Amino acid sequence: MEIINTMTRAPRRFLPVLTLPNAILALFVMAALAAPLLAPQNPYDLLQILGWEASSPPGTMSGNGYRYWLGTDGLGRDIASCILFGLRISLLVSVISAAVAAALGLTLGVAAAYFGGWVDAVIMRVVDLQLSLPTMLVALIAIVTLGPGVDRIILALIIVQWATYARVVRSVALSEAGKPYIDAVRTMPLSRGRIILRHLLPNSIAPAITLLPIEIGHAVALEATLSFLGLGVPMDQPSLGSTVANGFQYLLTGQYWISLFPGIALFTLIAAINFSGEDIRRLWDPRSRSL
Amino acid sequence: MTAENHTAPLLEVSELSLVYRGASRSLPIVRNVNFSLDHGEVLGIIGESGAGKSSIGNAVIGLLAPGIAQTAGTIRLEGTALEAVDGEARRALRGRAIASIFQDPSSSLDPLMTVGAQLDETIAALSPELSRSDVRARAIQLLERVGIPDAPRRHHSYPHQLSGGQRQRIVIAMALAGAPSLIVADEPTSALDATVQKQILHVLKGLVQDHGLSILLITHDMGVIAEIADRVVVMKDGAVIEQGATAALLQAPQDPYTQRLLAAVPKLRSVHPDPASPGVGAREPILVVENLSKSFGGRSILDLFGAGKPHFALRDIGFRVPRAGVLGIVGESGSGKSTIGRILAGLESAEADRIELDGQRCDISHRNRAGSLLGRVQMIFQDPSSALNPRLTVAQALTECARATAPAGEDTSQAAVRARVIETIERLGLQTLHLDRFPHQLSGGQKQRVCIARALLARPKIVIADEPTSALDVSVQAEILALLKETVAENRLSMIFISHDLAVVQDICDDVCVMRNGRIEDYGSSDFIFGQSENPYTRHLIDARPKILAA
Repeated sequence: MEIINTMTRAPRRFLPVLTLPNAILALFVMAALAAPLLAPQNPYDLLQILGWEASSPPGTMSGNGYRYWLGTDGLGRDIASCILFGLRISLLVSVISAAVAAALGLTLGVAAAYFGGWVDAVIMRVVDLQLSLPTMLVALIAIVTLGPGVDRIILALIIVQWATYARVVRSVALSEAGKPYIDAVRTMPLSRGRIILRHLLPNSIAPAITLLPIEIGHAVALEATLSFLGLGVPMDQPSLGSTVANGFQYLLTGQYWISLFPGIALFTLIAAINFSGEDIRRLWDPRSRSL
Repeated sequence: MTAENHTAPLLEVSELSLVYRGASRSLPIVRNVNFSLDHGEVLGIIGESGAGKSSIGNAVIGLLAPGIAQTAGTIRLEGTALEAVDGEARRALRGRAIASIFQDPSSSLDPLMTVGAQLDETIAALSPELSRSDVRARAIQLLERVGIPDAPRRHHSYPHQLSGGQRQRIVIAMALAGAPSLIVADEPTSALDATVQKQILHVLKGLVQDHGLSILLITHDMGVIAEIADRVVVMKDGAVIEQGATAALLQAPQDPYTQRLLAAVPKLRSVHPDPASPGVGAREPILVVENLSKSFGGRSILDLFGAGKPHFALRDIGFRVPRAGVLGIVGESGSGKSTIGRILAGLESAEADRIELDGQRCDISHRNRAGSLLGRVQMIFQDPSSALNPRLTVAQALTECARATAPAGEDTSQAAVRARVIETIERLGLQTLHLDRFPHQLSGGQKQRVCIARALLARPKIVIADEPTSALDVSVQAEILALLKETVAENRLSMIFISHDLAVVQDICDDVCVMRNGRIEDYGSSDFIFGQSENPYTRHLIDARPKILAA
């Protein structure tokens, strides 16, 4: 007899490691790490830049003996090299800020859930306040008061991001903290720190892990926006965002390549990070590992 | 309808096979199951978890879980094979010909809609031609039929304003909305107290007798089967082991599995009180509790104005736990029995005149304060799946406990602790190979053994077992109970055993406390409570137990 039920769909059991997004992401990371080896030109080194070759269209041969596959920008920097070096800055800024923000948000969220009372009230009111301010505004104020620089950008992104983690993690930790296994360890003479770090935190971390790649993508975009506005990383350290911003004024005169190619790279990077996020979450869960 | 259809049974399941299709392998869930159900009959399907009984119910309703497919066999409703019916027509059958009742009434009702609105919606969906006032009149009629008092008023209530039993009545009323001929009831009373369970079964019985309904009753509880089923199908591992008329099957089960299942059901013994038996308090107590009270609320500023009255969860509780003995605390849900356990385990604070553990006064007014009960009392929880950290292996969980509770000066080296852990789990019927497993890789019974091991490794003065068997299958329940009894006797442990099941309490306890609404209603030695007590509430609880057989 044929299979009758049409709703049948076997759940995915295997852990896909080699999917397209993961492969693209790995490629991006490797390209960023190997940028000095791969890039034909170092866009930070003014001596390598030929000013008279500014705004060359894609495919032009350079006087230095290599081809500008993606063209050059208004200063004569090779766009392909700018993308490779820009990736480094973008990934560095976003990964560090997202990781620190996650650690901070996790700790505060779990602490709020476990202790409750006034600890909870104080932490969560700060979170509410933080989340009610527009992200861009908080970042702008932080940059304006702290001054420009890569480290300041990272700090600004942490300030913007930690509250999201704290809120998401607290709600999960709250329900985990009410489960009998937490009661069971509370009947033993264990320190609170140990109960929180060994028992409560690892079981409350899943939403933060899901959030992490989304927030890394978000951080890349935010850094790009800040750079685009001229408040991001300094001009002599091109990130993907500032390279897109560089080309903005040339778009109207038909020199599309200066903004377009870094833009495509930015989009692909963020998309790859977001798609890989779900796999990372599944790897974390012991229940999905052993099936 | 042809004459031939009238002779066919209402529901006929033949050679039904269900298979779970995973990515790597297919797993048979149900194999070649045959049974039939006539008009006005109640057929019970009984089996332990994983027996495939719920999947059969879902197949009859036409709502198989994703991944499960019907690979063989037919399900005929009044002669029509349901497999031949297309999706749209199948959907039309649900509610009209076949309706369903699920286990937990709180999760099968929408908390944001009044029960009346939900009932109206169901009726309107099944008979669109009715006017709004007709729908409402029908809804109220249905509410009255399932025994909801003051139906027009209850029509406006939200689910949380009703008791568990009333909620299940509403679910039954919704199932009746399409005037079905068959109701599939999957564990309809498992989430309810014994007295409420009896009422719900009575409602279902009434429907069968007065309206000629048929019920396919899926349950793990022999008591429920004995109460209302006309015929029983016993299932194990997806196959039918035995079927027949209820009375005959209960009296003389043929298959050894059925016999074991029946034997495992805890039964109340009839007690012939021995006037010479020692009364309560004759033995030296290890724990003395006097005037224990716990209140919620009443700490707000409104108190100054005489507003917010504190609500007492427990009031004037006093008892003694005999050394190396077992005190049972029984009561229905909400009676405060679990709260006592949590207070004594140091998880909640409360007020008391005197708490004395092993001759030492204890302070329970604050959690985690020196001199509290923390660490000297261990708990065994109801649901072993949630009582173990899912991210720690058995070895990690037990080692942590053994280390944390080791008295000063004891050898806490890796090897010494591991040896102690292994010794403990082997005594509890586990093996070394279980040490590296995660909780989800163990069965329910094994998980509960790990929880018992954890409690023992802490070398507590008292173990509190809060419904330690009610989340387990009947046969596993019996094993765990026997194990607890043995452990208590072997280690001269003292235990507080909290349960709603009187038979289990009688089996294991020396003294018994009957709780109701946060107070002690009746207290005495086990023989006294079950044999002599004339307290009406105690008698009521004893009578509410489904009688399996007057064996």
